[in-house]
Amino acid sequence: MSHSTTFDRRLAPVLPRLWVALLVAAGLSACGPARVTVEGEFPPPLIEPLPVTLGVWYDEEFAGHKFFDEAGTEGESDWIVATGEAQVKMWDTLLEGMFENLVHLEKAPGTGKANPVVDGVLIPHVDELQYAIPSHTSVKVYEIWMRYRFELVTADGDPIGEWTMTSYGKTPTAFLRSDKAAVNLAAVMALRDAGANFATTFTTVPAVQDWLRTTGAERGEQP
Amino acid sequence: MKWGLPTIGLMACLATGCVTSTVDEMVFNEPEEGIGDASVVILGRRHASDYDTEPDFVNCVGNYVAARDNSIRLIGELEFINELYPWFEPRTAPMRPAAIERLLQQEPVARKLQELKLEYMIWVDGNTIRTDSAGSMTCGIGPGGGGCFGFGTWGNDSDYEATIWDFTDRAEVGRVNTTATGQSYMPAVVVPIPIIAPVQGTACDGIGAQLLEFLSAEY
Repeated sequence: MSHSTTFDRRLAPVLPRLWVALLVAAGLSACGPARVTVEGEFPPPLIEPLPVTLGVWYDEEFAGHKFFDEAGTEGESDWIVATGEAQVKMWDTLLEGMFENLVHLEKAPGTGKANPVVDGVLIPHVDELQYAIPSHTSVKVYEIWMRYRFELVTADGDPIGEWTMTSYGKTPTAFLRSDKAAVNLAAVMALRDAGANFATTFTTVPAVQDWLRTTGAERGEQP
Repeated sequence: MKWGLPTIGLMACLATGCVTSTVDEMVFNEPEEGIGDASVVILGRRHASDYDTEPDFVNCVGNYVAARDNSIRLIGELEFINELYPWFEPRTAPMRPAAIERLLQQEPVARKLQELKLEYMIWVDGNTIRTDSAGSMTCGIGPGGGGCFGFGTWGNDSDYEATIWDFTDRAEVGRVNTTATGQSYMPAVVVPIPIIAPVQGTACDGIGAQLLEFLSAEY
């Protein structure tokens, strides 16, 4: 009992400072950017797989992709949204369903290390990402727009083709849904849209058509 | 007795807020014997730039139908679009029944739809918006307790249309449209008392009842 009294007496002069420190910490944390790590489930595509062996290479920037306000630095941004993990998850699921064989390369193609035998290597990049939340636009919709760039190269790194593709995801405001949950949902919708766009247009890209012809895997037009 | 009905109406309005609703229906080739062991899916349209048909509303319509006739096999919206990914995403979803033919050229899609025994695909398009709001409320807290004082009111408008596609005939066989308008109130004397007009719920019941009549042999 006496021990507890001694402890209280020692703590008493420190308490106001502790409260101030706590308030400052709470204030600082409230001022910091909102951080969202995008999480979601992505279904495999219901599509006839192309009879090719595709290699895929996610560079560091893609696998760790995150975005923040373009106007400032990462520290000044209102939002930091990490999409890298979800990007890799979505593209892995999609490509595994679209091609008969999918090989994850350990090194970038053309860097000297012998890559497994593949018909081609796909290297996705996120070139641009824009987002809008209701406090920016006064429209009650959270939106994410992305522009991808794809490189299709040989196992040695020689270019086969390069093209761009956009994707868009939005979600309306909803009662009891936080800004973070809504941004996450909009990002998941944008990723699903990216997968849908890629799956339905891949074989219509002229460079891809030529490449498929050389591998003997050409197939009819997509609906 | 003479004042009974208006009094009950007024009491109901005061308890929940008033809603005015209209339902228009136009259907062809109604299945007289019901749909047997075939299945139905109800999907929301999400291709417009400024609104999305709320998944909760689509779910509500499905629940309305399923709760009243459990012989109707309804496929969940998310389950359906996940199983048929990427063919029913906002970018790729067919906009006209004629597009189904092209979709069925994809063998895995044709196999999946056959497996699901899909007979009707119902597209719900629309949303509920807040139209106006007025009033003010002040809340305070002190050592003796807290409370609010004031009055707020707001209106909601729902406008939905359900389009029924017959999967066997690849044709549109009906349209059901419902609109609902309601005013909600929130008086506050110490404690705010919300009197919410169930606008979206009324629209859901309106569409659900018409779809049930179309799909069920019992109604």
